[in-house]
Amino acid sequence: RYVRQLQRLQLLFSPTAADARGARQFVEEAAQDFARQHPDVVLYVSPHSGPGPAPVLRAEYLNGTVREELIASMTSEEIVQLATKLANQSGLDIIRIRKPFHTDNPSVQGQWHPLTNKPSILTVQGPRLQPQ
Amino acid sequence: RRSEQPSWDYHAEIQAFSHRVQENFALDLLKTAFVNPCYIESEEARRRQLGLDKDAVALQLQDNAGLAERGLRFARAYLAQCFEGAYPELPAKGIEALVNFLTSQELVSYVAQNLSIQDLALCRDFPAPPDVLQRTFLAVIGALLESSGPERTGIFVRDFFIPQLIGKDLFEIWEVVNPMGLLLEELTKRNISAPEPRITRQLGVSTVLPVYFVGLYCDKKMLAEGPGETLLAAEEEAARVALRKLYGYTENRRPWDYSKPKQGLAAEKAISSN
Repeated sequence: RYVRQLQRLQLLFSPTAADARGARQFVEEAAQDFARQHPDVVLYVSPHSGPGPAPVLRAEYLNGTVREELIASMTSEEIVQLATKLANQSGLDIIRIRKPFHTDNPSVQGQWHPLTNKPSILTVQGPRLQPQ
Repeated sequence: RRSEQPSWDYHAEIQAFSHRVQENFALDLLKTAFVNPCYIESEEARRRQLGLDKDAVALQLQDNAGLAERGLRFARAYLAQCFEGAYPELPAKGIEALVNFLTSQELVSYVAQNLSIQDLALCRDFPAPPDVLQRTFLAVIGALLESSGPERTGIFVRDFFIPQLIGKDLFEIWEVVNPMGLLLEELTKRNISAPEPRITRQLGVSTVLPVYFVGLYCDKKMLAEGPGETLLAAEEEAARVALRKLYGYTENRRPWDYSKPKQGLAAEKAISSN
């Protein structure tokens, strides 16, 4: 079955700073809908008062990775899109994938080895038997 | 510990856990499932240290030992039933080895860690040791058994434990000391004559790394063939390959069936999707 890899989202923003306007709009309008659509993600909203550090959306995944995204000067829809993108990711590191394909069964009929098509020592090749 | 860092709501986390696993739990059963005995002892010790009166602030938590035992028994019975249905030729010792591997500490604690149980479990040490994680996960299974019944718990166990067998070979899990003897027993059960080992192919006999392919023939028909470095090793490997073929645990067997089970067979816990 499918287990969503995102554990919790923490939205840290300040209620007075100008660049956190999108975050405040998101909290007022879209946060409840988002939480209802994703019941397996816990959404924490923590406003820290006064002009503090930049507004940040922190995502924690089941394998322990924590990913922080700056949401300064982003509109509410963009934050919704970012949150759904994070919710559909897994917690693996975002690195370059060397090959876009992987298979656990590289060979269907058995991998070739130098003895595949050599006849066995035991096969006896004698003169052909005459049909009766 | 995550529960001591900012932004932590235990009730919300537990609800999210039940949604993540797509199961309906009775929440109070689930909360008891996460309470370990070492946590209760440490809490009582802490309260005694702080000088609180024991009767005034009594801990009303039950620990998860009963749930864990029920979960373990159900998981073992269900997995044994699954394997008996899927590999009918496999002997009892093989099934036992598979079930022991699937309920072993490392595997269960690995599955539990990737389901965020290590954050929710209440225990004394941090990070939670693997036996605590195993007990907590089995208690979760027990709680699910109490809340939703054996069918859904069976599907849960199947979805989380059987994928751990993918890519694993039978004899990696089941240690067999004498495969030739076991093979002889199996063949006598089926009334086939004893196998005759013959060298099929050989390469590099006089070098450091010879390769011998030994085939086992019963009544002049080939049973199995296995490679090895020395003749004895090749014969043992051929016996193992023959056993794999007989038990139906080869690499090219049909993959496990994870579809929804048919209704109406819940009477004796016999679920048809094996």
